[in-house]
This record gives sequence, C-alpha cells and structure tokens, in this order.
Amino acid sequence: MVTTHPRKKIEILVDAPLLSRIQQLAKDAEVKGYTLQRTIGGEGGQGRWRAEEVTGGAGSKLVFATIVDDETADRFLSDLEPLLSEYGLLVTVSPVEVIRGERF
Amino acid sequence: METLFSPVILFFILGALAAFARSDLVFPEALSKALSIYLMCAIGLKGGVLVSGNGATSDLLLAAAAGLVLSMTIPLIGFLVLRGVGRLDPINAAAVAAHYGSVSVVTFIAGDQLLSDAGLPPAGYMVAVLALMETPAIIVGLFLARRFGGADMETGGSLWRETLLNGSVVLLVGSFVIGMIIGKPGFEPLTPVFQTGFTGLLCLFLLDMGLLAARRLRNTRSLTVRLVAFAIIFPLLNGTLGVLIGGFLGLDVGTSTALGILGASASYIAVPAAMRLALPKADAGLYLTMSLAITFPFNITVGIPVYTAIAKWSV
Repeated sequence: MVTTHPRKKIEILVDAPLLSRIQQLAKDAEVKGYTLQRTIGGEGGQGRWRAEEVTGGAGSKLVFATIVDDETADRFLSDLEPLLSEYGLLVTVSPVEVIRGERF
Repeated sequence: METLFSPVILFFILGALAAFARSDLVFPEALSKALSIYLMCAIGLKGGVLVSGNGATSDLLLAAAAGLVLSMTIPLIGFLVLRGVGRLDPINAAAVAAHYGSVSVVTFIAGDQLLSDAGLPPAGYMVAVLALMETPAIIVGLFLARRFGGADMETGGSLWRETLLNGSVVLLVGSFVIGMIIGKPGFEPLTPVFQTGFTGLLCLFLLDMGLLAARRLRNTRSLTVRLVAFAIIFPLLNGTLGVLIGGFLGLDVGTSTALGILGASASYIAVPAAMRLALPKADAGLYLTMSLAITFPFNITVGIPVYTAIAKWSV
C-alpha cells in the first residue's frame, strides 16, 4: 500500500503578460515549483477569447498550476486575493494526494 | 481602387469574410508567430541593406525626429479626445491613447509593399523610424495614467524589459543592423528567402490577420459608436498630419506616405502587452479591439490609399 500525503493544488488562469507578477508572488510565498499550461480559448464575463501569439500574448491566457502544503497555500492565496478582480484571475483550489510529500 | 485588388489586401479580406461567415478556418498559432518573425526580419534586413547603400542622410535624421515627435504628441491629443468625446475614464483613455501613438509593424509592411508595387518605394531608413516609434507612446501613456488616473501601476524591471526589449523591437532593430553590416552583396544569397518569398508569405499572414481582426470584432462587448468613430477618424487625421510633415521636410512621396502610415497606425503587439502589465485596470478588450479590429483593417483597406493620394497631391 503506497502512503500518500494531502496537499493543495492551486490553478490560476492568468493573462499572459501578467504571468511575471504571479511568478513573483509565488516566489515570495515560498512556492517550490509550478507548471505552466497553454490554453486554446474560452468564454466568460468579458466575452469570448482565443489564444494568439500575434498580439504579443496580450489576448492569450495561461494556467499556472502548483501543488503546495496548507501553510504555503494560505500565504500564496492571501497575496493573490487583492489582485483577483483587477487582474481578472480565475483561481481554483482543490485537495490532492501526493506520494513524495517532502517535494511539495 | 487598385490597392483593394492587391493580393495582399484580397487575402486580408478573405480572412475577414471567413471569420464573419463563422468558417472553421484556423491558422496554427505557431505558424502565425513564425510568419510575424519572418516578416519583421525581412523588412528589417531590407531597410538596413538600403541604408547601407545610401548612407545616413539628413533625411533620415529629419524623419526620425518627426517620427519621435508624432509618437509623443499623438497620445496626448488622443487622451484629450478620448476623455472628452470618447467619454472614457482616465486610465482607459491613457491606455488607448498609447496604442495610437505607437505603430503597427504589419500596417507598415503592407504599406511598404503596396507603395513599392505602385513604384513609390519608401526610403529604407523608415524601418529605423518604425522601430523608434514603438515605445515613446507607452511612456507617455503611463505618464497620463499616473498623472490623471492616479494609477498605481507596475513600473518595475519587467515592464521596462517588456517595453524596451519587446521581441518586435529587438527583431526590427537587429535585422536592420545586420542589413546595414552585410549590405547588398551579403544580402544577395538571402534573397530567395527574404525577397522572393516575401509577398506570398505576407499574403498568408494577412489572411490570418483578417481572421483575427474579424473574430475580435465579432466577439467584442466594449465598443461604443463614439469609440468606433475615434478608431477611424483619429488615424485618418494622424495619417494626414504625418504625410504633410513628410512633405514639409522634403521627403519623397513614398517616404512621406510611409510617415503618414506610421502616424495613422495603432499598435497591437508591443503596447497591449505593456499596458496589460502596467495598467491591469484598463480594459484589454477595448484597446485591442480598437487597434486590431477597427483601425488596422481601416488603414489596410482605406487609409493607405488615402495617405498615398494626399502625398501625391501635396508633396
């Protein structure tokens, strides 16, 4: 039987030009690692959007995903909270199980 | 009218019609990016090679000074008009104004091609003027947002890196310098890639731009009639001003038209990314739609022939 450890997975949908701000906040909150995912497009309160590289990424969005312990998650989310509406961020937090707990 | 039947413009119209008709035509994202890199390298090299042949003339310095003055003045006037007539708040007005002070590389490339086809090729140094005009408007826009909108904005290293070392500026300036170094003999072996294939690849890129512009227009929710009118009339005035300044400085018809095209065009590459980073409160849907979905198609189909006609009449 493999032992697993509970952690939190935080996923943030962010406009490509604002990614550097999220990376800095993650660093400040001592997040150990993250993964970036491309998106194709979508639809929301501001209408429909499609990823395209021609406009310097201004119209594109990325998903910033990280898995952290409860304490780091609290720090990171507190820092993100004031920026949610201004940056148009979509943040989701979900419980996950990891095998190598010391890595997250 | 001849301009409208140029293959470059016809492909742009095809892309726009396909998007309006809700065709499933999609351009691979990586190919769009590759084409834009190719076009910027090609236009930079072409300009550099032409300058290497003619040397730095007083016309170059005059055009550069005129370009700088235009790119710093246009956002100031645009800001006032957008606040008064456009009824935008100070932060959105500053963000939109910065787009109109900066330039659109693709509008310039299309204009250069159409002018060359008409036997009025602009001077090679206009590529350097194009690169010079990319960033000053961003600085003016940020100043306006801070002064009148009290914007609490990102002004750290990442913004300045984004602004000054933006990919399009690096590519344009870099390939322009390479063109100056290698000159005509060094460019000769590169012509099959950067000259022979240029018009065909520009057609493909404009097909994609037509798709992008029309899809953005179809999906927008931020526009008002006043802002649409601004996105058409303001470039027309700026283009006319650019052409007249070019004529006053003694530039030839093609070069004066190119200065008009630079004055009239609105950025949708360097400025949107910088504004999203520096002024996150500004509505990205608004400034991108105005510059990419209204002003760009207007300049490509109507503006360039109008600026050319004004230059032929006044220069």
